[in-house]
Amino acid sequence: MSASHKIIGGVVDTVESVVLGKRPQIRLALACLLARGHLLIEDVPGMGKTTLAQALARVLGLSYSRVQFTSDLLPADIIGVSVFDRERSAFEFHPGPIFSQLVLADEINRTTPKTQSALLEAMSEGQVSVDGETRLLPQPFFVIATQNPSTQYGTFPLPESQLDRFLMRIDLGYPDPESERRLLSGANPRTQLPKLTAGVSAAQLSAIQTEVEDVQVSDALVGYVQRLVQHTRELPDLEYGVSPRGALALLQGARAWALMDGRQYVIPEDVQAVFAPIIGHRLHSYASGEPVGAVVQQVLNSVDIL
Amino acid sequence: MQPGWQIPRPGLFWLLIAFAALVALHSNHLPIWIQLTALAALIWRIQIFRGVWSYPGRFAKTALVLLCAAGIVFEYRSFNDLDPLAALLVSGLTLKLLEIHHHRDALILIYLSYFVAIVQCLFFQTIGTALQVAACMMLVTAALAGIHQTQATRHYGAPVKTGLVMLAQAVPLMLVMFLVMPRIGSLWAVPQAQQATFGVSDSMSPGDFTDLSASGKIAFRAEFEGEIPPQRELYWRGLVLSQFDGREWSRGLDSGLGLSARSGSDSDSGSDSGSLRWSKRPGSAVNFSKDEIIERLGRPLSYTVTLEATGSRWVYGLSTPVPETPGIALTRDFTLLSVSPTLSKIHYDVTSWLDYRLQGNALSPTQRKQETRLPPQSNPQTQTIARQWAQQTPQPTALIERVLGLFNKDYIYSLQAPALGEHTVDDFLWQTRTGFCEHFASSFVVFMRAAGIPARVVVGYQGGERNLTENYLIVRQYDAHAWAEVWLQGQGWVRVDPTAAVAPERIQITVADLLANEKGFLADSPFSALRLNHINWVKKLRLRIDALDYAWAKWVLGYDSVQDSLLAGILGEVNPQRVGFLLLIAGSIAMLPLALWFMLTARGKPRSELDRLLLLFFERLKRAGVDRRSGEGLRSVAGRACAQLPALAPQTRTIAQQFELYKYGGLDQDLAGFGRQVRAYRPARAKTP
Repeated sequence: MSASHKIIGGVVDTVESVVLGKRPQIRLALACLLARGHLLIEDVPGMGKTTLAQALARVLGLSYSRVQFTSDLLPADIIGVSVFDRERSAFEFHPGPIFSQLVLADEINRTTPKTQSALLEAMSEGQVSVDGETRLLPQPFFVIATQNPSTQYGTFPLPESQLDRFLMRIDLGYPDPESERRLLSGANPRTQLPKLTAGVSAAQLSAIQTEVEDVQVSDALVGYVQRLVQHTRELPDLEYGVSPRGALALLQGARAWALMDGRQYVIPEDVQAVFAPIIGHRLHSYASGEPVGAVVQQVLNSVDIL
Repeated sequence: MQPGWQIPRPGLFWLLIAFAALVALHSNHLPIWIQLTALAALIWRIQIFRGVWSYPGRFAKTALVLLCAAGIVFEYRSFNDLDPLAALLVSGLTLKLLEIHHHRDALILIYLSYFVAIVQCLFFQTIGTALQVAACMMLVTAALAGIHQTQATRHYGAPVKTGLVMLAQAVPLMLVMFLVMPRIGSLWAVPQAQQATFGVSDSMSPGDFTDLSASGKIAFRAEFEGEIPPQRELYWRGLVLSQFDGREWSRGLDSGLGLSARSGSDSDSGSDSGSLRWSKRPGSAVNFSKDEIIERLGRPLSYTVTLEATGSRWVYGLSTPVPETPGIALTRDFTLLSVSPTLSKIHYDVTSWLDYRLQGNALSPTQRKQETRLPPQSNPQTQTIARQWAQQTPQPTALIERVLGLFNKDYIYSLQAPALGEHTVDDFLWQTRTGFCEHFASSFVVFMRAAGIPARVVVGYQGGERNLTENYLIVRQYDAHAWAEVWLQGQGWVRVDPTAAVAPERIQITVADLLANEKGFLADSPFSALRLNHINWVKKLRLRIDALDYAWAKWVLGYDSVQDSLLAGILGEVNPQRVGFLLLIAGSIAMLPLALWFMLTARGKPRSELDRLLLLFFERLKRAGVDRRSGEGLRSVAGRACAQLPALAPQTRTIAQQFELYKYGGLDQDLAGFGRQVRAYRPARAKTP
């Protein structure tokens, strides 16, 4: 049991005290952040997406800002604007909410593609360019975006190329009856959020992220991952398979998952655990509108670990 | 299926193409209005797809069905035939095309299409037809694959590939079934056209053979054991005609030796007639119960004839034939007769002696009377002249020479014979002097009979085209020929061909070469490749294609007749168990390469030592009742094993941990000790409940 393992366990427990009965999702979300990936939470309104994001921000001790995406939101509203300061006779940059360590982009698919891409650029580059000047974003930099299912009214679905920027996409789902009873009988989780304290320092978080990079991946496991992605490319139900970037993401997520399990090496179960959230949104089924979940499970069942 | 199911676009695309191909396949016997209806339905279906027109309503559908049914009744007047049933089937297919609302409708259409495709084989059995039917099957299979594609796919090529692969996969099984499956007699009778007969008919009047020369259709093919005899020996006897009514030659009531060689229209198979001996067993020589009337001289000549459907019972052989195939009989005229009308291609083996003496010693008074009989009032001029000549030249051979000499001098062999009046022979012999083989044969026999020499007309085919690729003979309808036989004391019946006296080339070269430029020759087939015989490569190509078709008829269609004896040879006794066993073995052998291929490809790379150990571990767990799910990882299996086999949990956990470290943890492998540990791991077998 390494120190990082203990820290992560504490973080998960703390978050779960607010987001009840969602341990697997919390673990996935944490794995995503530890693997330096951005997270997309997709579900219908009221499932606790925002609560989860806020709880994570507080527990990880990160500076946090939230942007509510609406259809009239402009890129400057996220990135910031330069305002003319009359006293100094110069433009002064007023940073937008993106200059935080953890940005919660709420209902990202309700805004126009132009604004979406401003955020997504920042996500992939880790920097923004305003008035010809490149400004670095704080480190670590996470985006947790939530989106409503694309079938709902007033949504601009994210194109595949932008979905690809998110390491994982998870959905929360309804709580189980037991958790829901606890939720209803207890206090409103939102009110408990301010009471959460940081369970990890910035330095620790950075160390854990470095540790994730060092988790060992054997040849046998690389072979397994390669066969998995190869299989997605040969499935007739899918329009296209997983890209090499997707395969790298899969490996990275599996590393984080292994570390959270207290292991210094990745085993196939790690890959299987993160496979659906990492691969699901990168695949496109021919039968549009049909969930690819069944296909993803089919891939896992058809590729042997040996 | 939910309402509003839409046929996937590639599925519809291939379905329409398959439908068009099926209608085209049947076009040679479908009435034109059904083809036009099919075209209209096709256009309608496309317009439905484009959303321009709508599906036909209930009233329109009922009206269409009634119209089609009425049209077929009006067209054929009877359903006791194959053509109206095929037409009914195709129009059913056509109307169903306008009714694809559900997935099952498309399926019905496709299954019906398979049936419609195979129905064509009832009409034609050539290799060309087989290939066309196979192509249609492929298209229908493509449609089947197409309608099972998902809505968004729209891959137009993929269904064809699937169709091809599926058909290719079916080939080994198809071959096994073809070779082994015993042919069960037809479960229902397929009505066949009774009235339609082809080729030489059982009567002969002027102009008949001219009509035959218009057709380049194949009459039969013959394959000889050894060399094909020279062209002038190839007289394929079909029927002997003894009765003359002044214009038309027919077999008459008393043909042959005064004993009826019942055939053709007779209902019984001749078993009671006493004149025929059906050869029940192949190879059994046919001997007549009465006195021996034939002397066979020289060497026997064996050959196999593949006769196209004629619709009649007489079949063809060279002189003095002995049939070697059951179902073919010999008449007293020494012609061949089949048990039943030949409605499809048949094969039969014959042995012939080209050198023979038939009834050399005596002709019975009845027969002599029969073979010299002429209608008294007909052709008076010929009868008078013949009697004069007979007095001037009493020696029959000399008389024959004299008549042939006359033919040779003044007569023209041509397809353009002028019309003849009431006394056909008189008109021909002394007026027009231009005619085809039937004119010469008829006149010659009439002349001989008038001169008191027994004579008769023989009809059949003469010559044939040699196909050197496969060394067989192709005899076509235009090879049809009529000649004479004259009875001479001491020599018996002797063949005399008056045509040979007029146009010796007819007997020496093929008709095609002789008549190529005659008007009327091949008039029925204006685009026949036979017309291009003077171009060498066309002729060669045509002969090669014919050789292919012949091989098809011989080996594929002809297989039915040899299968029985082949099966008996392999199995000893043919009974369902043994046939089933043979099917099983042959099927397994046919599938073996496929299975081997799968085995070899599925195994992939050779396993490492560690993987083999891991598989052994999984195998042991499986025996203990912990079955690994497909794709399941080691840790998960081991976890379940610990729960199910608590006694062994520590050991299981240690081994699993070690495996993990070796395989994924990068630990240096020391497999000697670990291997022993894994092999020693033997959980108890799961108790079967």
